[in-house]
Amino acid sequence: MKSEILYPGAFPMVRVELAAGENIKAESGAMVACSPTIDIESKMEGGFLGALSRKFLTGEKFFFQTLRASRGPGEALLAPTVPGEIAILELDGVNEYMVQKDGFLAGADTILIESQMQSMSRGLLGGEGFFILKISGKGMLVLNSFGAIHKIELKPNQEYIVDNSHLVAWSTTTSYNIEKATSGWVASFTSGEGFVCRFRGPGLVYIQSRNPGSFGAWIRQFIPVSE
Amino acid sequence: MTPNALCFGEEFPASGAACLVHVEEHGLTVTFAADTANAQPESVPFSNLTVSAGGIDHDHLVVKWKSVQGERTLYLKNPDVIRAFREAVPDHLDLPLAQVAERVRQVRHRRRLVWGIVGGAILSSVLGLWLGADLLVDIAVSRIPVEWEHKLGESAYRDFLSHQEVVKEGSGVVAVEEMTHRLTEQILNNPYNFQVTVVRSDIVNAFALPGGFVVVFTGLMKKAESGEEVAGVLSHELNHVLQRHGLERIVKNLGLLTVMAIVFGNQQGLVGVMKQLGVELLTLKFGREQETEADLTGLQLLQRAKIDPSGMIRFFERLSEKDEGRMEWLSTHPMSAARAERLKVELAALPKTLPEPFTFDWKQVQVSLRSQPVTVP
Repeated sequence: MKSEILYPGAFPMVRVELAAGENIKAESGAMVACSPTIDIESKMEGGFLGALSRKFLTGEKFFFQTLRASRGPGEALLAPTVPGEIAILELDGVNEYMVQKDGFLAGADTILIESQMQSMSRGLLGGEGFFILKISGKGMLVLNSFGAIHKIELKPNQEYIVDNSHLVAWSTTTSYNIEKATSGWVASFTSGEGFVCRFRGPGLVYIQSRNPGSFGAWIRQFIPVSE
Repeated sequence: MTPNALCFGEEFPASGAACLVHVEEHGLTVTFAADTANAQPESVPFSNLTVSAGGIDHDHLVVKWKSVQGERTLYLKNPDVIRAFREAVPDHLDLPLAQVAERVRQVRHRRRLVWGIVGGAILSSVLGLWLGADLLVDIAVSRIPVEWEHKLGESAYRDFLSHQEVVKEGSGVVAVEEMTHRLTEQILNNPYNFQVTVVRSDIVNAFALPGGFVVVFTGLMKKAESGEEVAGVLSHELNHVLQRHGLERIVKNLGLLTVMAIVFGNQQGLVGVMKQLGVELLTLKFGREQETEADLTGLQLLQRAKIDPSGMIRFFERLSEKDEGRMEWLSTHPMSAARAERLKVELAALPKTLPEPFTFDWKQVQVSLRSQPVTVP
């Protein structure tokens, strides 16, 4: 399985080359084009209940699609819905990532995707909802973001503060606390930051350069109101 | 080699170096993956180690030591390795390990506790709302002034009548007026000015709108075999108004939809509900409890007005017989033999009074209803 990012920037695609018999799973609707040797199957990862819980709890799509090179080698082009960069990570079996609900684009068949419940404070204030995806296993993981993806590398005990709605994915070896952005409650909200996440290393934190919620609020003012 | 841990240090990448950890008698052996830059296998005696809990869910065992290359931090998650580590460690690490385990337990326990409390709070408030809904509706209804109710009913009533042929005179109207008068006379502290309208239609039905607007269809009057039967239906409908059943339904519907609109953040939905109100009134179905209440209070009202209440029961019974064709009153007033039976029991419990007959002759009223020509507007 080989993969490369085409047109890096705001509107990228991923090209994945599959050898005969290989398959990858992708977010449903991610396939843009593919060779005729590739079959598209829809699959409920983790069984029906797993799919149901992912749908209702994380807001992720109910089905993943599986692209299988069942009739010989071929390639598939995949793209996310929103404009933004794509990052390809290689999981080695010990690295695990927490991924916020819209961050998953595709992954090798050998990676494991679970929905996981967060603690109450992170769920309420973290900005990713109560349930997020935990991705482990071995193989390729493709993340997508809104805006550009930026990687923050944290050494043991190194700290970094991230606005909660800019999170894409983070290693499970990191930990974070939710804090007010400034010391006062009023200033916290008037500064426009509200709550932030104080991450502590070691590990990686992937963030996106745009905030989908704020963008939605900004664009709403231009949508004509219809009765 | 299948790595089972991540090792962090100055010369390793920030994502950590995958490594294989072996627990041996006197310490750990850490073997790095072949592609890790200039990392030699390391053997660390237990005496150099410190332990803590770490990771996003505090479920990693974090082992630290100082090697010649600098500080090393090892993140262990594999349960087999952790178990082997706990069994092999000398006494000086037992206490810190127990503290780590305790901390992991505490974090999990606290999380379960918080979820339990929040879940319980949500559940109990839903239950409370569910059980207290009737009380809330009653409180809400009691705060709505009769004038509002009147306006609400009146607009729906005018709207309805504008599409209907209203019977304005004749013995049928006189008969209904007499019944209404006899009944409303007996209502104490009546805040409503009842308006009963006869509408020409073969529908066997009658209905009441909030504010005291009652419509009786000629179909129902033709079906009835005596004035007492119609008076029974009328008494039932008047009591829907007196008990404010229409308002109760509206508040209930509105309440649920309002809560839903707020929950789902749909303000436009709320406006839509308000607009729907007028339509809602005419399609309003009363609940079973409200029907029973109107039956019983209707029966008592008939009794006070000295109108033979057995007419009401007889009419109900006849309507519940199957081969009566299509009857609207049945669809909005689900009939059951049990309902008539309950009324009979109630009636037996009431003190006997001598009924006073109406001044009109019902047979003549029915003849006049049939003979009235259908005027084409």
